[in-house]
Amino acid sequence: MDSSSLTEHAARNQAHWDRDAADYQRRNAEHIACGEAWGVWQIPESELNVLGDVAGLDVLEAGCGAAQWGIALARRGARMTGLDLSEQQLAHARAAGADFPLVHATAEALPFADESFDVVFADHGAYTFTDPYLSIPEAARVLRPGGLLAFSHNSPIDSLCWDEPSQTMLPQLRRPYFDLHREEWGDHITFNLPYSKWIQLFGANGLAVEALIELRPAAEATSTYRDDTDHAWARRFPMDEIWKLRKR
Amino acid sequence: MSYLEANRENWAKLREFQERTARRNWAKTEFDWGLWKVPEAEIGAVGDVSDLDVVELGSGIAYWSAWLARRGARPVAVDLTPSQLEIAALMQQEFGLEFPLVEANAEQTPLPDASFDLAFSEYGASIWCDPYKWIPEAARLLRPGGRLVYMKNATIAMLCAPEDEDAQLTADLLHDYFGMHRFDWPDGTAEFHLGFGDHIRCLRDAGFELENVWELQAPADAQTHPVYNYVTAEWARQWPSEEIWAARKVA
Repeated sequence: MDSSSLTEHAARNQAHWDRDAADYQRRNAEHIACGEAWGVWQIPESELNVLGDVAGLDVLEAGCGAAQWGIALARRGARMTGLDLSEQQLAHARAAGADFPLVHATAEALPFADESFDVVFADHGAYTFTDPYLSIPEAARVLRPGGLLAFSHNSPIDSLCWDEPSQTMLPQLRRPYFDLHREEWGDHITFNLPYSKWIQLFGANGLAVEALIELRPAAEATSTYRDDTDHAWARRFPMDEIWKLRKR
Repeated sequence: MSYLEANRENWAKLREFQERTARRNWAKTEFDWGLWKVPEAEIGAVGDVSDLDVVELGSGIAYWSAWLARRGARPVAVDLTPSQLEIAALMQQEFGLEFPLVEANAEQTPLPDASFDLAFSEYGASIWCDPYKWIPEAARLLRPGGRLVYMKNATIAMLCAPEDEDAQLTADLLHDYFGMHRFDWPDGTAEFHLGFGDHIRCLRDAGFELENVWELQAPADAQTHPVYNYVTAEWARQWPSEEIWAARKVA
């Protein structure tokens, strides 16, 4: 894809993921191998039932990485498309045996026709690493009426409570809330919004809020993404969450 | 003593304060929301109410109902505390605005099904009643397509609420988010606040579609409220102290 048309943060995130893909997949391979599980704590889809029956549906994973999710859903009969901005991540998807279209593009400008999917979803994917003011309208555009947008990301409370000096989660508001949007991490950029701004953005794009599923790890849960201190925090407060939205 | 009785007693004790502020609140022609007086004209949560049947749930001295009546609505004010409704009745005479005042628990009113276009609460049922009871009750009272609009303390503010009601909020999260529902205070009163996920589920289960949420920020020049000073203007410039929720009963 032509990277000159990318936003500045997308180009930086692309470079980050191309650099980190191999190490990321190695670090987390075992933790995320099952595919059908959500978020930091890998809560099984069989428990949450976010996507429902996907057999025969056109499904887009936005920010598919090595396509662990897509491969599992394709086995259930979904007509999968995987999208990622990192060619290196897509190489991992191909190596893992993804035999459906893998599209190298940003979710901020989807290369798909209007109303071409029944389900668009991401698990800490595109809606973490793109500007939601660009990518949410795009997701709504490519969904058919009645289609489902479901994505997990870090909760706004998680964004507030990250303590940069100690590199840990605190039970304390560590930064102001109202300007929550772009989060700089040095080598990459993530995005988050206040709860009300998410809800207003969904409404403005014709997406009805069906559920906000706040993910709580089991007492004995572990994660390759987070440590024991994070786990203790995540037992008390939502670290990550899934928005489930229906296109009107 | 149940939380309903404790809450009623608490409001009865506040009669003197309510009487002092009643006239000023009833006299208001322009309405603003909450501690930071954000104009409704800016938010637009309530919208055009002319010719609407409105029920105010946990109305207190019913000054919102008075404002709605002036805007052409037909309000019914519901409150649990007789002394608050007595003040409302006095104000009705003084201001020449008549509408029904109903002494009832907003979780279980004696009003008929599908008889209102708008259910409204500002720091009324929205915090003093159990959402798993008052929100389904609001759904029962509304006609299909009717709207529910209410203001409450912000979810994030409640996580920071100290046990001591005279203490001010800090940046420390003192309550767990998971399981948040009922907040019991040392004087026996109780408030109710759900996390966002549970709150949305509660609305959906009662037959509402979420329309909007506003999290209110104190403006740069705001001063800490002289009475409701549990949250300082400085805190509320950084984090949300109040929320307005709007939902529509699915037709």
